[in-house]
Amino acid sequence: MTTSSRWEEFKISMQPRIKEWKFMLRRMRESPLSIAGIAIIVGFIIIALLAPVLAPPTNSDPFIIPSDDEISKLDPTPIPPSTKHLFGTTGIHQYDIYYACIWGTITAFRVGITTVAISLIIGLTVGVAAAYYGGMADEVLMRFTDIIIAFPGLILAMALVIAIPSTFSLNISLILTVILGLTVLFMFLKRVNMKITAPLLIIFIVALVSLFNPINLDFNINRLDKVLIALWLIGWPSYARVIRGEVLRVKNEDFVEAAKAAGASDLRIVMKHLLPNSIYPVLIMASLDTGSIVLTAAALSFLGLGAPTNYADWGQIIQRSQTWIYAGGNLVRNMHVFLIPGIFIFVFVLGWNLLGDAFRDVLDPTLRRR
Amino acid sequence: MGLATYVIRRLIFLIPVLLGVTVLIFALTMFFSPTQRALLYIRNPQALRPEAIQGVIDKYHLNDPFYVQYFVWLSEILKGNFGWSKSANMPVLSAIAVKFPATFEIIMFAAPVIVILGLYLGIQSAVHRDTIVDHITRTTSIIGWSLPSFWLGLVLLAIFYGYLGWCPPGRLSSDAQNFVVSGQFTKYTGLYILDGFLNGQLWISWDAFRHVILPATVIIVIDIALIVRVARSSMLEALTKAYVIAARAKGLTEKEVINKHARRNALIPVVTISGLLVGGLITGVTITETVFGFGGLGNWAATSAQHLDIPSVLGFAMFTAIVFVITNLIVDILYAYIDPRIRLT
Repeated sequence: MTTSSRWEEFKISMQPRIKEWKFMLRRMRESPLSIAGIAIIVGFIIIALLAPVLAPPTNSDPFIIPSDDEISKLDPTPIPPSTKHLFGTTGIHQYDIYYACIWGTITAFRVGITTVAISLIIGLTVGVAAAYYGGMADEVLMRFTDIIIAFPGLILAMALVIAIPSTFSLNISLILTVILGLTVLFMFLKRVNMKITAPLLIIFIVALVSLFNPINLDFNINRLDKVLIALWLIGWPSYARVIRGEVLRVKNEDFVEAAKAAGASDLRIVMKHLLPNSIYPVLIMASLDTGSIVLTAAALSFLGLGAPTNYADWGQIIQRSQTWIYAGGNLVRNMHVFLIPGIFIFVFVLGWNLLGDAFRDVLDPTLRRR
Repeated sequence: MGLATYVIRRLIFLIPVLLGVTVLIFALTMFFSPTQRALLYIRNPQALRPEAIQGVIDKYHLNDPFYVQYFVWLSEILKGNFGWSKSANMPVLSAIAVKFPATFEIIMFAAPVIVILGLYLGIQSAVHRDTIVDHITRTTSIIGWSLPSFWLGLVLLAIFYGYLGWCPPGRLSSDAQNFVVSGQFTKYTGLYILDGFLNGQLWISWDAFRHVILPATVIIVIDIALIVRVARSSMLEALTKAYVIAARAKGLTEKEVINKHARRNALIPVVTISGLLVGGLITGVTITETVFGFGGLGNWAATSAQHLDIPSVLGFAMFTAIVFVITNLIVDILYAYIDPRIRLT
């Protein structure tokens, strides 16, 4: 077959997909809510990109909020918005709220996007493995998922944030041995064909070598990283459940049987046949989740478990108002401290929720063609 | 199969879940050194001597392999000894009993409004699809869903407490609190609004009501979106079904079609999500309670998690798991009531 005819074939095979994309774009354009969502998110992306211009960093680490300890010593009450401090300051240490809001945008994107991406990867792996292999593997993986779901998420996240140590030393040989052990166990249980023996052998040799020459990976984990890790660990189970159901539905279709009969490997069947036909509900969930993950992270910060006090993060600034709850006068006088970062959180989350809603309307086949 | 056997079978399913929860908590505690974990057992700060810590380590086998530790620990729990809650300064089980009424007081106001108003708005939104009613309902509910609960709480407090002085934070004002603990007041239910009536002290009820109204509002504003969304989409789906077309074709009024034919069929997903929501509310209005200093279950769980008060966190997690299984059970029984075709098996 020549290249040009292959190209033609590719173009023909892509035609329905392009048509689909055009249809989706048209639907998105028709809905004012989704346009508002896109506008909000684009606005925040611009803020994040222009952060060094909008709020020039004074510190070598741009996420450290500039403070004014001189004034703080004389008068530790929050300074209301002025030309010097556009959104005012926080009181103790007099951190600049404008700076925190601008750089906090980057923190929010980081929290939302990495958490959704990693939770998706874990959830998809667990769910697909459970559904595809079935039997014992399904039983074990899904019961584990059930336990995490049964646990109150925020409380688990809080406990994890506290329990995760600040320095972490991972022994590579230990990890490799665990991976190896699990794989062999899995192969034994499922009698998988031995195609992957070569990589296993390499892992085995590396594990053996590193057993005698211990290699340690040292990590320093700051408090924001702990929040991220906690959110990854609590976020995946719902994805795992949904994708499992979808894969079970698709698994017995003729095209999967055909691929198996043609001798396709498990990985190929999953990547080429199962995932493309089952991933949409999970993607819709993920786009709707991004906002609530940012809210959870902000809530953890509000409880004093999030980013450190000098780190640019919206929830962390609001946490300072907690001390005035029983003093209504102070709450009113220092309103700017929680009002402005709160508006940032709210608009950011609103943007993601509108976008997620629009995605759902466009992608969900039961809703969209009415 | 009878309802009783069905219920019993479902409750037996609880056991593996609860065991799983204990494993999870136990795995979390394994991040700490034996000495750090020994400190969790010591109530009295004066007992913080090295030999006392060593004694605790020996008593609870904290230096043994993890499976020995797990079984020692689990056997204590199976005896009903959930341990001492440092953050509440009382045994874990009594802490749950004391703090639950506070949380329930908020839920009592919030949950009916969320479910009934949410259902009404969702159905109206579906019936008047793509009209101004639909747009307003959807937009306001998505706005509510996007609000950070702690921020909404602070804003409401600033307005209704700071400016107007109507609704203070906490659970009771100080004079009401003094009266409640003075001995002249009997706590029949632990719900101060109800107890105020039962004691003939209406001002206590009024005081409790003033304190509960803001947290309940926060929960309503934020969580109603969930019900509206589900009610709307399931009603939209029901309206396209053949039996609705048939009902219209035989000349029924639109009101009858909606109220008698479509609505009942749209209820099932709403019941599911309501069950999950109320279960979630009972166990976790953590943030809202913390903002208002309300002293309920969620507030207690948050403090315990912050101070790594393991017995409390475990007790709370067990309680949550039980509440979830029971609400799911109620939901399944309600299904059979709404849709006679469903049989409990």
